Amino acid sequence: MTHKVLVVHPQKCTGCRICEQWCSWSHHTVVNPAKSRIAIHRLHHRYVNVPVACSQCTKAPCIEVCPEGSISRDPETFGLILDQETCIGCRLCLESCPRGCIKVDADEGMPLLCDLCGGDPQCVKHCPEDAILYLEPDKVDRGYREFHTCQGLGGEGRRRNELLGGWTGWYYAAS
Amino acid sequence: MSYLAGGLAGTMLRVDLTQGQASRVPTPRNLFEDYIGARGVGAAMLFRELEAGVDPLGADNKLIFLTGPLEGTLAPGANKIVVTFRSPLTGTYSFSLCGGHLAPELKFAGYDGIVVEGKSEHPVYLWVDNDQVTLCDASHLWGRLTHDTEDELRAEIGDPDIRVACIGPAGEKLVRFACIQADYHREFGRGGAGAVMGDKNLKAIVIRGTGHVDVADPPALGQVAEDVYAQLAQHPKARARRQYGTPEMVEGVNKLGFWATRNFTTGYFEKADRLTGTRLKEELYMGDNSCYACTVACGKISPVSKGPFAGTAIEGAEFETIGLLGANCGVADPAAIVAATAICDSYGFDTMSAGVAVSCAMEAYEQGIISLSDTGGIDLRFGDGDALVAIMQQIADREGLGDLLAEGVVRAAQQLGVPHMAMHVKGQELATYEPRGVVGMGLSYAISPKGGHHMIAPTMGLEVAGDPDNRLRAEGKAEMVRDTQLIMAVVDSLALCSSMRFVLGPQSMLELYRAVTGRHLDEEQAYLIAERITNVERLFNVREGFGRQEDTLPERLLSEPMPTGPSVGSTVPLDTMLEEYYALMGWDADGVPTQERLQELGLEAE
Repeated sequence: MTHKVLVVHPQKCTGCRICEQWCSWSHHTVVNPAKSRIAIHRLHHRYVNVPVACSQCTKAPCIEVCPEGSISRDPETFGLILDQETCIGCRLCLESCPRGCIKVDADEGMPLLCDLCGGDPQCVKHCPEDAILYLEPDKVDRGYREFHTCQGLGGEGRRRNELLGGWTGWYYAAS
Repeated sequence: MSYLAGGLAGTMLRVDLTQGQASRVPTPRNLFEDYIGARGVGAAMLFRELEAGVDPLGADNKLIFLTGPLEGTLAPGANKIVVTFRSPLTGTYSFSLCGGHLAPELKFAGYDGIVVEGKSEHPVYLWVDNDQVTLCDASHLWGRLTHDTEDELRAEIGDPDIRVACIGPAGEKLVRFACIQADYHREFGRGGAGAVMGDKNLKAIVIRGTGHVDVADPPALGQVAEDVYAQLAQHPKARARRQYGTPEMVEGVNKLGFWATRNFTTGYFEKADRLTGTRLKEELYMGDNSCYACTVACGKISPVSKGPFAGTAIEGAEFETIGLLGANCGVADPAAIVAATAICDSYGFDTMSAGVAVSCAMEAYEQGIISLSDTGGIDLRFGDGDALVAIMQQIADREGLGDLLAEGVVRAAQQLGVPHMAMHVKGQELATYEPRGVVGMGLSYAISPKGGHHMIAPTMGLEVAGDPDNRLRAEGKAEMVRDTQLIMAVVDSLALCSSMRFVLGPQSMLELYRAVTGRHLDEEQAYLIAERITNVERLFNVREGFGRQEDTLPERLLSEPMPTGPSVGSTVPLDTMLEEYYALMGWDADGVPTQERLQELGLEAE
């Protein structure tokens, strides 16, 4: 497995949503968060911004669940490709995504899937904080290790957890 | 035919709270041509739509919310929305800009602005869900703090990504400097828009937008945006703000002796080293929040971990807040400043006006003019953080002395018999630049159409560039103020964040404007529009009886030499600068625009 994947770091994200701008711009030539494959979800009460992006699952539920076999991989990048001819717009892929990152294009009635911009993901390219990275699978853990030992619950994050709550478990923090 | 081929949603909302109706109306494109957008269009609309002499806290006042052509496009730092209204604090025209994520959301929902008029009989909120617009009962939200209101609306509507602008109890109780709060810690801060909203019984505006705005020249916009984002990443000022937020300015301003201290009794705060950006980053900041499409992320997440205020968290405090609640109240304890700011944010009132009102009361208290029995037992001395927080809560609750301070510093000082201690222009509390130490800012405050405000013509950087001593000289300041005022009128009308002006010269701004709207404006044309905006603002105030007599400063700043610090001995030579400024603007000796100048600006019919 040599394809690179998207890796997000909520602790670095400021919530500027520049990634959303460029994602929708590069795919649709408009700025519209509702058409961006990546979404920044701000948990106001915890002062946290969570980038919600496709993680290129090894066994992708969106592909497996699709009743029409409309979702495939780009052989080179591993990015998702939607066959608009056969897709019926049932949204099972949206429901199955473990990160909740799939949206529906309201004009087309079709899911918006991350195609990794052909190997040059625009969200990564434009993120001013390196809060989203495009990494080889054997390197995806590095940033997290540093974070959890230096800033996370082993370090500065303990203080944050006490003060603001929810330094761990980003995706559950909202509930 | 309009020559704006992009950047506008094309529709506005007109909300009549008296009738309980909201209607969709075409955007006045001609006004966007003549006044660019946001602040400029707001000034023109308010001037045309308000009769002379309307009660700022009455059904006839309006809240005109407007975005600019760049919001909701690829333009960096385009995230401001302006509200224009007659101020209950000053009686002048006023406007206030709010960052965060509100402005683009409104554009995505399909609107360039919202005009709120009339007065509802009971509390309501406005729910703008793309083209579905509803006025909903807000009885259950009345009395709730701003953050609670946001949380409740997100839960009620079932969408955590909606955008909310709301008032808190301060707006409901008509605190004259109440603000409108958004995204927890962004606000329409100055001039008392929150009180106007409270008087109208409008608790909140809630927006969900899932569309987009067309632009005229997408390839050009993509290119300009790439360039500007790249410049932003490199620019030293933008980088300093990214690190330290706006408090990056504390050190420089204090070092040159123009940081308002202890109610403008001096311009040098001897404990400023506890409040510098570098110190706050080490001791307080825990993260950064950004407004839409901005790399600066100046919103510093500041939780207090120890002491009596432990558990309080805000985004901020901004430079102005640290100045006016800090130095100007003599307070050097960041935790107390955070706690005082948290009260302002959650009850919804302006930290700056509150700071100046409190510093006035502190001076009166120290001089024995008011006593413990007046303050409700608060030992209201300069430098006492506990006292600062306690009096802030009194303002929030409109109790005791706080009830009086909630009327603004002019009315409060009058009542307390200390009008000379009120640091204001036209009833608007001054910002944190002590004008005796930076005299061009004195002229800025004096001529500002919304009263003593710093962002009308923020000349402080220019006044210290090169030769810092230039800040104490009057020569050339009228021109500097005039030029800066015109640039800011363009920035505010494009609705770019003012932090962008460091990076984007006029040329880049106009390139963005051209790519978005298809309309080429050269600098000269842009400044002509800026002058039109400035004159319409002036005409509003002239109509309300304001003239040269009100273009002044507190006597202390005009006649008492700065007692200590690097600007010792200085006063503001206002008269000379003012006369020169009027002449440059083509205004008569009383500050009234001449017919000739109005004709040149196409305003003769106004």
